[in-house]
Amino acid sequence: MKTFDVIIIGAGSIGVPMSFYLAKKGLKVAVLEKLASEGRGQNRAAIGGIRATHSDPAKIKICQISIELLKRMKEEFGKEIDWITGGYLFPVYDERTEKALKKLLIKQKEFNLNIDWIDAEKVDKLVPGINKTELRGGTFSPEDGSASPLKVAGAYLSLARNEGAEFYFNEEVISFETENSKIISVTTSKDKYSGGIIINAAGGDAREIGLLTGVNIPVIPDSHEAGITEPVKPFFKPMVVDIRPDTQSANYYFYQNKEGQVVFCITPKPPIVGKDTDSTSEFLPLVIKRMLNLYPRLRNLRVRRTWRGLYPMTPDGFPIVGFTKEIENLFLAAGMCGQGFMLGPGLGLITSEIIADGNRRYDFITEQLTLYRNFSGTEMLK
Amino acid sequence: MERVIKHPVLKTDLNKKQVNFLFNGEKFTGLEDEPVSSALFANNIKVFSIHEVGDAPQGIFCANGQCSHCTLIINGVPLKSCITPLKEGMDVRTLVHLPELPKSDEGLRNFEIKEMKCDILVVGGGPSGLTSAIELAKLGFEIILVDDKEKLGGKLLLQTHKFFGSIEDCYAGTRGIDIADILDSEIRSFPNVRIFTNSSVAAVYKDKKAGLFIDYKNYVIAEFEGLIVSAGAREKNLIFPGNDLPGVYGAGAFQTLVNRDLIKASGRVFIVGSGNVGLIAAYHALQAGISAVGIAEILKEVSGYKVHGDKIKRMGVPIYLNHTILTAEGNGKVERITIAEVDENFNPLLETAKTFEVDTLLIAVGLSSIDEFFNTAVQFGFKVVKAGDADEIAEASSAMFGGRIAGLNMAKMLGKEIEIDEEFYKKAEILKSRPGKVYAEPVTELTDNYTPILHCHQEIPCNPCISVCPSGAIKLQDALNSIMDLPYFDGDCTRCGQCIAVCPGLAISVAKKLYGEFAEVILPHEFIPNFSANEFITLTDTEGNYLEKGEVMKINYSRKYKTYMITLKVSIQNATRIAGIRIQDEDRTKPLPEAVYNYVPDNAIVCRCERITVKQVVDFIKANDIRDANQLKQIRVGMGACGSRTCSVMLPRVFSAAGINWYEVAQNTKRPLSIEIPMCVLANENQ
Repeated sequence: MKTFDVIIIGAGSIGVPMSFYLAKKGLKVAVLEKLASEGRGQNRAAIGGIRATHSDPAKIKICQISIELLKRMKEEFGKEIDWITGGYLFPVYDERTEKALKKLLIKQKEFNLNIDWIDAEKVDKLVPGINKTELRGGTFSPEDGSASPLKVAGAYLSLARNEGAEFYFNEEVISFETENSKIISVTTSKDKYSGGIIINAAGGDAREIGLLTGVNIPVIPDSHEAGITEPVKPFFKPMVVDIRPDTQSANYYFYQNKEGQVVFCITPKPPIVGKDTDSTSEFLPLVIKRMLNLYPRLRNLRVRRTWRGLYPMTPDGFPIVGFTKEIENLFLAAGMCGQGFMLGPGLGLITSEIIADGNRRYDFITEQLTLYRNFSGTEMLK
Repeated sequence: MERVIKHPVLKTDLNKKQVNFLFNGEKFTGLEDEPVSSALFANNIKVFSIHEVGDAPQGIFCANGQCSHCTLIINGVPLKSCITPLKEGMDVRTLVHLPELPKSDEGLRNFEIKEMKCDILVVGGGPSGLTSAIELAKLGFEIILVDDKEKLGGKLLLQTHKFFGSIEDCYAGTRGIDIADILDSEIRSFPNVRIFTNSSVAAVYKDKKAGLFIDYKNYVIAEFEGLIVSAGAREKNLIFPGNDLPGVYGAGAFQTLVNRDLIKASGRVFIVGSGNVGLIAAYHALQAGISAVGIAEILKEVSGYKVHGDKIKRMGVPIYLNHTILTAEGNGKVERITIAEVDENFNPLLETAKTFEVDTLLIAVGLSSIDEFFNTAVQFGFKVVKAGDADEIAEASSAMFGGRIAGLNMAKMLGKEIEIDEEFYKKAEILKSRPGKVYAEPVTELTDNYTPILHCHQEIPCNPCISVCPSGAIKLQDALNSIMDLPYFDGDCTRCGQCIAVCPGLAISVAKKLYGEFAEVILPHEFIPNFSANEFITLTDTEGNYLEKGEVMKINYSRKYKTYMITLKVSIQNATRIAGIRIQDEDRTKPLPEAVYNYVPDNAIVCRCERITVKQVVDFIKANDIRDANQLKQIRVGMGACGSRTCSVMLPRVFSAAGINWYEVAQNTKRPLSIEIPMCVLANENQ
């Protein structure tokens, strides 16, 4: 049996950065992953947006840290992750959305978020050619940005390995052995491991892994669809998020990545619950209609590929982070609700401080995101 | 103008409408509705874009709408020029680095979801797609057949040679182009078949629907019960320095340019690979008046049919066995290529290098099935059958027969109570056969009577000579009891000449004693004769070795087989060994006196779309202990327009160069779309 200080289950958006920050603290870390490589689950389905623009203090803080870390990634570690500080733009076309976003703005500013209302003319400057009929303006948070999920996962994998973290791919966790409310070993399809602390960062499989440990984690994935175009010269900067609901979809969003490709994603309505990630014929017409109405200039852009990814959802749309009461050495980093990529680096750093240093300054996060909350709230900017 | 104006088999219509267009502001003319890429080739313009990485020039590559190397800015919009028809007044520009998106800001004019329904969707209207659709149409099914070319027939349309196989099962002895016409008119006679040409299947979706890119203008969602995947094959690529230069492309792309668009795409061409595709590319080049300078084959034997290889050798095309391509070089385009012999581990022996001055290098190192839709459909649990090259790479003769079986199988899946004759499967297996045993050439005795001499000594699935002989004097041996058996002559020859004209291998001559020291020999000839009666021409034995100069007595033409028959006066000692007429003199095929090359294997490109070199990939694999091809996407391998279709066949070699066994590596995930589609098309904005 191989023995580690920390065993992370899942080498995805959460597990890989977390393994690096934990290993950097001098802990002996193992990451168990059922798939063949890092980020092969939902990380690679993420489109790459990273925003601190949320509606609650915990996620705002985590993502602010993520942005800081990713922004410095190249300079600090020499890893190209295609970071762009493009900002997030929520264009507004109706009074209801304007009111809601302006109300949220007050709260967001309280949490030290750099975000403001901009008028229609400024929106058009940021996204030249955007549909101006009834455009009222929008909120813009200039410090948000984007990076390549593939490259971020790859970068953290190599950094983590350099710090001594060990990765076991193609190994599925099949059981846990517990004794006196502690997990004493983890058995995979290939081997057996023991660890001081076990972290459930299993993304879409967090619930199943939770059940193996005897802890019920209310994470149920639903699927969203995304696509990417051919690359063209840069023509707009921010991530554009249209939160107006339509009959068959909730929000959708798109941006142009560093390669010049426009990446887009839509939230189906009602949600498509389950782990099926096979594409259906409905997606492209649904998203194209909305995108071209908002931004007709995209019309000549060719769509290259499409895919589906899972949003491991919790009942209230907020992640679940922290130690469990049932099992004292089990830490949860699950239910990221489709935001694992942007939460991952920040959450990794915070978790390393909690676990390695016993740091209490992030208690407000684990208190807000505890498994033992009543899940009655709703995240406005899901 | 670089056009084919005379061709022994193809009709060259010189009266097509000419249109003017601009290329980078300069005025040129082309033919209306020909692909823009072909119009440019006809004007000797072969560099279409400049890639961001290293400012590398890009030329045509697949000529098939699959890759995006031929992208140009056409009327302000980046378009694949090989599937964009030329129109009067078009403004065509070189694409330099990334294109700029046109500032087309008027509101969305129209949005429509177009839908259709059918029993069976057939993907690909080549030989197997057509025959399977015909079988299903006969049974009354509603069929949608989608093909990405202007005309139905797939690769049949590019085949000017007569087909192998048997006459009753697969039109042996008829030329591919003519078979395409036959199948086209048959399929169009069924009112229950809707045909969409110039259209691609972009995706097969989980909800039993397919996304169709119709006429490259509209997006239609088609619902189906059963799916036939007869999408053919794509050409494999090779890793060698210079493999990305404009002028290096596939033999299939070459056939498209030359035989479909009648473009004299090259002056001098060299071919890598001696399978039937490579061999036939040499033959197509010669028919179009292009020098076929040589064929390099890494194995110690010709890998296509021996009769095919022999035919090419007789025409004067050297085949270099145990040779590999070392480099393609030139300033922005292919100007010379270098080959070298290989050792037993297929490593090149540089001291044997030979350099040839050519403008084009064709890669004909095999095909890989386009079966992604089949695999997707299986995964989704659909009723699906694959046929032709999408099922297994083989000759078109086999594809046609296999297509019928595929159609019948689909009918059974959809509940039709039919029986499929066991014989069908046996025949299908035979038609798929790889070439078999080679026998020594027997000596035929020269007599006063006409005697056919069969220069065909390898077991291949082919027998039209038997079928056409009016006196039944050409027979098959009964070693294998199939059409794989070798033919032999036993009986009386009526000198009807049909066997000479029908043989796809041009491997039958007829000889008899004339007078004194002379004999008469009749040979088939699939070129417009550049000689006349009483002239002396070079004659060779079966394998292309020089025998003598013979005097032309008579030139006949078989309209039915579009084949010339040349009657010659030759010496009696050579008469029964004479098998062909040399088309190319030796000095057209000679290498430079000394090899001139700069061999830097690290520079070979693996991912053409993103221009990633073999060294970059190998270094990345080693540095990161890569065991999943998807991880290579971090360095953009597989992220380009082709969706890793071009590089994926080369990845096993790259991993092996990095010391990793390919079987340990997780495969690249294939995702829709199979072809890039503009958003305005997905919205059906333009009717």
